[in-house]
Amino acid sequence: MLEKSLLIHRIPNNETETERLIQEPAPGISATPHEENLRYFDVIIAGPSQSPFEGGVFKLELFLPDEYPMAPPKVRFLTKIYHPNIDKLGRICLDILKDKWSPALQIRTVLLSIQALLSAPNPDDPLANDVAQHWKENEKAAIATAREWTRNFAQE
Amino acid sequence: MAKVPRNFRLLEELEKGEKGIGDGTCSYGLSNGDDIYMSDWNGTIIGPGHTIHENRIYSLKLHCDDNYPDSPPSVHFISRINLPCVNQQTGKVEPTKLSCLANWKRNYTLETVLTDLRREMANPHNKKLPQPPEGSSF
Repeated sequence: MLEKSLLIHRIPNNETETERLIQEPAPGISATPHEENLRYFDVIIAGPSQSPFEGGVFKLELFLPDEYPMAPPKVRFLTKIYHPNIDKLGRICLDILKDKWSPALQIRTVLLSIQALLSAPNPDDPLANDVAQHWKENEKAAIATAREWTRNFAQE
Repeated sequence: MAKVPRNFRLLEELEKGEKGIGDGTCSYGLSNGDDIYMSDWNGTIIGPGHTIHENRIYSLKLHCDDNYPDSPPSVHFISRINLPCVNQQTGKVEPTKLSCLANWKRNYTLETVLTDLRREMANPHNKKLPQPPEGSSF
């Protein structure tokens, strides 16, 4: 039922989905729309426990283009992060943000997928090649670097 | 129309610039590849043919502040050039003297600025202006 009402409401505007995001944030995730542009969100994702990003607070920005929900939201990290699928400009390599996007997905699903990506870096589908290579050659050392970056750059 | 926020707009411009714009006579890229706010850019203009600028390569710096693209970028030539819109002491492109900067619109881009400057070089009033030695800088 909820899904159906979202689909109806979010085409003309994303108010319903936004309200739901604010009311029911997923654990460790928040998304706040900008007052002057309701399609533009400040996002915060807490580094998942048991990952090299644990204890970190990561800022992202998210924008719903005109084509949304037929096209995916645009999302990137603003906090520096050492991860094989996130590049120096915070761009994220994630299939659902590209060819695997479906209009049935939502902002919430996207943010949960990004949180999951932090728990499961995938160096075989890299965006940051140097980081991915490090991850493959010496995973332990790469994880240590990721922890160090989390301590240095991802604190509130 | 949704208003594309500054950072996502600059990401679009970056991706377009990386693929190469138009016929390659104007190009641009980030000055610092890990500048998360994408404020500083390098631009290049190849001088238009059949003008005094032919075969010259001009380097520029463009700066996009927090208000971009609501406000235009600030633009400086690094390579010395004699053009009415360019301050001869500093290399700054005077915003009041270049039409795209003076009448800035939100849908204008770094590409708009570079192509407008190239058009200015080919303008009949400017195309024969005496130029400083090639390779000199402001």
